[in-house]
Amino acid sequence: MTNTVFWQTIADYNRMSWPVQVLLVLAGIVLTWRLYRRPAPGVRRVMKYYLALLNGWIAVGYYLVACDARSYNGVMALFWGVMAAVWIYDDVVGYTTFERTRRHDRFALLLCLMPFIYPLFSLLRGLHFPLMTSPVMPCSVALYTIGLLLAFSKRVNLFVILFLCHWALIGLSKVYFFGIPEDLLLAGALVPAIYLFFKEYIDLHFRSDTKPDRRVMRLLLAAMCAGLGLFFVVTIWRQAAALA
Amino acid sequence: MKTQAELKAIARFVAEYATRLMGSGVHTSRVVRNTKRLGEALGVRVIVSAFQRVVNFSVFDDESGEVYSEVVDIPPLPISFELNAELSALSWEAYDRRLSLEEIEARYREIIARPRIDPLFTLVVVGLANAAFCRLFGGDWFAMSIVFTATLLGFFLKQGMQNRGFNHYVVFIASSFVASMYASVALTFDTTSDIAIATSVLYLIPGVPLINGVIDIVEGHVLNGIARLTSALMLIVCIAIGLSATLMIVKSGLL
Repeated sequence: MTNTVFWQTIADYNRMSWPVQVLLVLAGIVLTWRLYRRPAPGVRRVMKYYLALLNGWIAVGYYLVACDARSYNGVMALFWGVMAAVWIYDDVVGYTTFERTRRHDRFALLLCLMPFIYPLFSLLRGLHFPLMTSPVMPCSVALYTIGLLLAFSKRVNLFVILFLCHWALIGLSKVYFFGIPEDLLLAGALVPAIYLFFKEYIDLHFRSDTKPDRRVMRLLLAAMCAGLGLFFVVTIWRQAAALA
Repeated sequence: MKTQAELKAIARFVAEYATRLMGSGVHTSRVVRNTKRLGEALGVRVIVSAFQRVVNFSVFDDESGEVYSEVVDIPPLPISFELNAELSALSWEAYDRRLSLEEIEARYREIIARPRIDPLFTLVVVGLANAAFCRLFGGDWFAMSIVFTATLLGFFLKQGMQNRGFNHYVVFIASSFVASMYASVALTFDTTSDIAIATSVLYLIPGVPLINGVIDIVEGHVLNGIARLTSALMLIVCIAIGLSATLMIVKSGLL
C-alpha cells in the first residue's frame, strides 16, 4: 500500500461519512458528559454499547468500506470487530465498572479531547478537508478510549488496554510508513497511560503470595515505560529532524 | 519396624510429594528416583508406577513385611523449575540428614508455600521472550515489537481462559489465533511479516512435555513418554489450527 492510497482512502472516508461522524461525536460528547456528571448504571451500560458501536463503525465503515483500496483492510476490520465484541462481552459479564477514580482527571480529559486535537493538528500542517484526519478514526478513537478508561479506571479490562498498546505501536509505525505525524499523539499519550493503568492494576491485583514484590513490580514498570518513552522520543526527534 | 498407621502416613506424604513433582513438570525417572530416595530416608522401600494421569504407590516395610498401596491422581499444576529443584533437594536433605517424616513434611509445606511468580510479570517476560525468538529467526525491530504486543494479547487471553477453566485445547486454539491474528498487522507494513506471524505463537509450544517425553522414552518409561509426546502433539495441532485460521483469513491460504 502506498502513501497516496493511504491518504486517498482517508479523504474518501471523510467525504462519505462526515454526517455519521458528526452524529457519533455528538453522542460521544453527551455520553461522556453524562458519565462524568450523572454516572447512573444505565449510562455506564450505554457507554459500553457506544464503544462497541464506535469500534464496529471503525471495523465496517472505515476499514471494510472506505479503506477497500488498502491491502489487508479485512485484518484491521477484524481487529476492531473483535474489540466491538469485547465491549459487548464486557457488558454481559459486567467487568468494567466505569467508576471514576478522580486521580488522573486532567490527563484523562486531555486524552478525551484528543479526537478534536487530531484534525487541528492536520489543519496546522496545512491539510484541508477531506484530506485530513478526523475525530472518528482508529487512532483518535483509541485515544478517546484510553482517556475514558483512565478517568474511570477503578476496574478496567486489561485486554482492551493491551489492544490499545498494540494499536499505538501500529500508529507509531504509520508515522514512518505513511507520513502521518498526527499519530505521534497516540504514541506520546500511551506511555504515561500505560504506566498509570498498570500501576493501578498492580495495586489492585497484587497478591502477597506472588513475587517479585510490589515495589520491584513498580520499579520494573517504571523502567519499561522509561524505555518505551525513550524509544518514542527518539522516533519523534528523528521525525522532527526529517521535517526540518 | 513400621506400624500400618506409620506406613499409611509415609505413603500419603510420598504420594503428595510425587504427584506434585509430576504435576510441576518433572520427568518420570526423576520422580521415581526422588520418591525412592525419600522412602529410603524414612526406612521404607517405595515402588512407583507412574502414568500420565495417576500414580500407583506401594510402600514396603521389609522388617515387618507390611505393605501399603495407594493410587493418586496427578493434579494439573503450573510448571515450576524452581519448585522441582527445591523438592529434589529436599529428598537429598532427608536422605543425608535422616530427617523424620514430620521434619520433611514441615520443610515440604514451607517450600510449596513460597510465593509464585506474579502473572503480570510472567506476561511481560513471555512477551519479551517471544520477541527475542522473532529476532533469532531474523525478524527486524518492528516485527519484534509487533510480536511483543501480539504475544501480550495472546498470553493474556490464555491466562484468563485458564483461570476460567476452559478446555486446554480450546485455550491453545484461541490463544494461537489471537496472537497470530494481531501479529498479522505486520503484513500491512514493509517488514518481516512472515517471521512475525510464525514466531508469534512460539510461546505456546509445549517444550516441557516434549523434552520430558523424550527423556521418559530414553530412560525406559516408554508408555509415559509416548503419552506425554502425544499430549504435546495435540497441543501443537491446536496451535496449528489457530495459526491456520489466521492465515486462511489474512492470506486466503496456508502458504
